[in-house]
Amino acid sequence: MYRFVLRRLLSGVLLLFVITTVAYLLLYAGGGDIARRIVGPTASQAQVTLKAAQLGLDRPLLVQYWDWLTHALTGNLGRSWFNGQLVTTGVTSRVSVTISLVLGATIIATIVSVVIAVWAAVRRGWVDRVVQFVGVLGFAIPGFLIALGLVSLFALNLKWFKATGYVPITTSFGGWAATVTLPIIALSIGCIAAVVQQVRGSLIDALRQDYVRTLRARGLSFNRVVYTHVLRNAGGPALAVLAVQFIGLLGGAVIVEQIFALPGLGQITVAATGQGDIPVVMGVVVATAAIVVAVNLIIDLAQGWLNPKVRLS
Amino acid sequence: MFRSKRMAALVAAVALGLTGCSAAGGATQEQSSQTLTLGALLAPKTFAADQSEFANLSPFYQAVYDTLIRMKPDGTLVPMLAKEWKYNADKTVLTLTLRDDVKFTDGTPFNADAAKQNLERFKAGTSPDAQFLAALKTAKAVDATTLELTLSAPDPAFLNYLSKDASFMQSPASFAAPDIATKPVGSGPYVLDTAATVTGTSYSYKRNPDYWDKGLVHYDNLVLNVYGDQTSLLNAIKSGQLNGANTIDNNTLTEIEAAGYKVNPLQLNWSGLLLFDRAGTTNPALKDVRVRQALNYAFDTKAMLASIGQGYGELTAQVFPPSSDAYDKALDSRYPYDPAKAKALLAEAGYASGLTLKLPSSALLGNTIPALITQQLKDVGITAEFADTGNNFIADLLAPKYGVSYMILEQQSDWQLINMKIAPNAPWNPYKYEDPKVDQLIKTIHLGSETEQKAAAKELNKYIVEQAWFAPWYRPQSSFVTDAKTNVEVQTGNAYPFIWSFTPAA
Repeated sequence: MYRFVLRRLLSGVLLLFVITTVAYLLLYAGGGDIARRIVGPTASQAQVTLKAAQLGLDRPLLVQYWDWLTHALTGNLGRSWFNGQLVTTGVTSRVSVTISLVLGATIIATIVSVVIAVWAAVRRGWVDRVVQFVGVLGFAIPGFLIALGLVSLFALNLKWFKATGYVPITTSFGGWAATVTLPIIALSIGCIAAVVQQVRGSLIDALRQDYVRTLRARGLSFNRVVYTHVLRNAGGPALAVLAVQFIGLLGGAVIVEQIFALPGLGQITVAATGQGDIPVVMGVVVATAAIVVAVNLIIDLAQGWLNPKVRLS
Repeated sequence: MFRSKRMAALVAAVALGLTGCSAAGGATQEQSSQTLTLGALLAPKTFAADQSEFANLSPFYQAVYDTLIRMKPDGTLVPMLAKEWKYNADKTVLTLTLRDDVKFTDGTPFNADAAKQNLERFKAGTSPDAQFLAALKTAKAVDATTLELTLSAPDPAFLNYLSKDASFMQSPASFAAPDIATKPVGSGPYVLDTAATVTGTSYSYKRNPDYWDKGLVHYDNLVLNVYGDQTSLLNAIKSGQLNGANTIDNNTLTEIEAAGYKVNPLQLNWSGLLLFDRAGTTNPALKDVRVRQALNYAFDTKAMLASIGQGYGELTAQVFPPSSDAYDKALDSRYPYDPAKAKALLAEAGYASGLTLKLPSSALLGNTIPALITQQLKDVGITAEFADTGNNFIADLLAPKYGVSYMILEQQSDWQLINMKIAPNAPWNPYKYEDPKVDQLIKTIHLGSETEQKAAAKELNKYIVEQAWFAPWYRPQSSFVTDAKTNVEVQTGNAYPFIWSFTPAA
């Protein structure tokens, strides 16, 4: 198994290298006159030239990329061209916000979708049909619409939660929960819709197996059979869907962060991409690619834990 | 099998947990009377004073940096780090007497040498406002409290500039600090709390306990939140999270007032057409004053204000603001909406059969403005052709590539306005059009006595309106909103009220 982990990490590093190279070239190609954008449309050409020289933008592309790469390998991702902040500081201070949203949404989605999927798979009949219908609705309605609806009802009318802003969990748990509850709900709706369908389908198949009848015949309670045995067998495909959803949520968090004014990675990405702040965008690319590699590795290991047939040792 | 009781218990537990969150949420919605929380539309690019900006970014810097001179909301200049100042006879040497009791927050004393270095760095820096100090030839620290500034020529707006970003005073000991972009060191009323600040999103400041003018500080804490998105800004206002905020446009003012906020109106700009090509370089028609006057008569400015500005603003035919010495209310009725008169003038000029004008367009303008311009020009026999400039709208305007364009421009103080739009080398006079009468009047405004300056300004404005150098439509209203707990005096000529103009309501 250690060899497997090592191989996956090495291929992750190679993947990071390819992604960052492609991203850097694409950003550079679409960058336009970045120095002009930084100093503003009414600045003199002399100021534009001075700014370009200060930031090293007058050097050849490959020289700039090599400079970035060699610094990045030592952990120095440079400074934002627009606000001078260290990219590492900017990304690490914000990644926790986005991860707490995405992780929270994934956990909520897992629990809720398992509960609903079990209910639908076991009860069948009208319950199953309603769950399938609502699941399609959850898929179809865009996440930002759900977010806007939640803000309007729960934050502006009922005033149960805050409409914007973020309180770190280290400052106050109650404050943190007040600021992330609505965004997490907004993010998890689409995720629940996808995972419910998958878990429900796998459960229905698993419940038809002979071993379920055998376990019941041995006197195990139905709940124990479902939660301890059947769910474990149905969990493999569901985990794969969850992994894809988690990664998709990283992108979905962008819109939710804008609506709720949360200082996460999504907010910084939108601003940096629009301005052409290449160091910051590259920092986000590195962080996101690293998260994706890590999530895929964890899911593979979890699959092995769930299903001995796919274990690696 | 599911027990419905268990399900009900689970749901109840979750609901209780979430309700528990609301208590905390409710508590934090009440702002402490010692914390001022404001909403802004832009975040500063850097805290380095030599690269600072103003307008919408002024509060970020004013919280930590003092200026030599302070401007009150009505535009009067009063002492700040400079106790007094005096020009010599020909207004080319300005001598300032500085305070001797001010220290930067890192302990470095503020003195004339610190002031000199800051001014020189700003002039040589990359701030878009670096040209404010274009007239500054040399700065000399005569002694610790006397600063002598020599100008290459008199600059009537120079004292104004010393109340803005041109004179933000940063501690010289921090000039070379690698993190100056995110950690400012000034002598201002507040100190940036870097631990609680999220760069680009939320800036937290704490009162500077050693501030030299306690009367200017009305809060213990200051929070500036940046909202790039109209929806999140509106939600923050409607949920009572902000004591005050700038608004992106006037579309949401009704909702904001319904949430219990007060709208503090301000007029900063004028909106209308720039008639650049007065010499007829790219379009010979524009050389004729009758054609330019026809363009002034062609627009139903009241309808334009209603359509584009939702009725918030005041109609005008002049580029100078009401607060200006040049302003004359009678001139606002010089060009009433009269398409028939416009057609007659065009016929007189030899364009009875029509005329084509090329104008630039951009995604920033949206679709409404070009459509309205096209329609109203068509009604007087002019064909408007719009060309998409992509991301280069302003660069193409100033190149110059177009003889006419729609634009919203600031109405600054007189000398600034003249140097921005009217003088032969003004950036917004890209064809460098010169008129001997205008040159003479500008010279008087530059070098004359105060009485002569005022008379010349009035005459200049009247001449420019008569010669139809521009076709202004209206002065759009900008709005700063405040909650019931906060009073503010808006700042003449600035998009954001100055930080010391906010006070808790009694």
